[in-house]
Amino acid sequence: MLSLNILPGADSAASAIQAEKVRMEVISQNIANANTTQTPEGGPYKRQVVSFETIIRNEFDASNAVHEVRVAGIEKDGRPPRLVYQPGHPDADPESGMVEFPNVSVHEEMADLISSSRATEANLAIIRTARQMAMQTLAIGKG
Amino acid sequence: MVPVQMNPMATQGLTEMYRQQRAMVDQAREIQQASKAGPVETTQSVSGAGAVKGSGFGDLFNQFVGEVNEKQLASTQAANDLLSGKDVPLHQAMIAMQEAGVAFQLMVEVRNKLLEGYQELMRMQI
Repeated sequence: MLSLNILPGADSAASAIQAEKVRMEVISQNIANANTTQTPEGGPYKRQVVSFETIIRNEFDASNAVHEVRVAGIEKDGRPPRLVYQPGHPDADPESGMVEFPNVSVHEEMADLISSSRATEANLAIIRTARQMAMQTLAIGKG
Repeated sequence: MVPVQMNPMATQGLTEMYRQQRAMVDQAREIQQASKAGPVETTQSVSGAGAVKGSGFGDLFNQFVGEVNEKQLASTQAANDLLSGKDVPLHQAMIAMQEAGVAFQLMVEVRNKLLEGYQELMRMQI
């Protein structure tokens, strides 16, 4: 059955919102673990980075193809940990007294958080506008 | 703004209304054919929506009503899943609701237009 496409762009926007949600979760993880010096795999917490990729739905129907977004993967940031001199810390190096803190910069994460929030807002605006357009079209010839 | 109808029963009510309307149109057609001083060649049976042969628009509209109903059901399902704590994203549920609302509104507009045309014809002086 031919399905009714009431809100154009809603599918792509929905996939983007979903992807941004994952990104926001990862940013939250990064901020929460900004001072974590112990992890199951040893060493300090490593900053996680989300990357997105395009997937094409209805690939074989050029007029109806929808480009959606999904999370391609969550990778670790390869930058070195932050070294802080804290001899009293349980995870301090016994010789130098340096502690390896995560390579997370809270400022950077906050900037990413705002970017993620704005991206979600933009996609919500698309859905809102699509709905408005449909409702305005339905009001043709009224008033 | 017309409030968004969330109740799938409302769509079913509309299907019923449409069915009655079709019956009325068919009655009017039969009366019209009878008054043409000729024998009625084809009697159209009205046994239910979509049963009328040769009414392309009727079938189409019936299918459309079914589709709108499906959207309403999907939206209700999404809301139920969301409220019962299943793993449904909030935005998916909201989009489903809005889509159902707009589709319903579209259906109401088509029905209004249909009824308007019918009433216009009934008012016509012969």
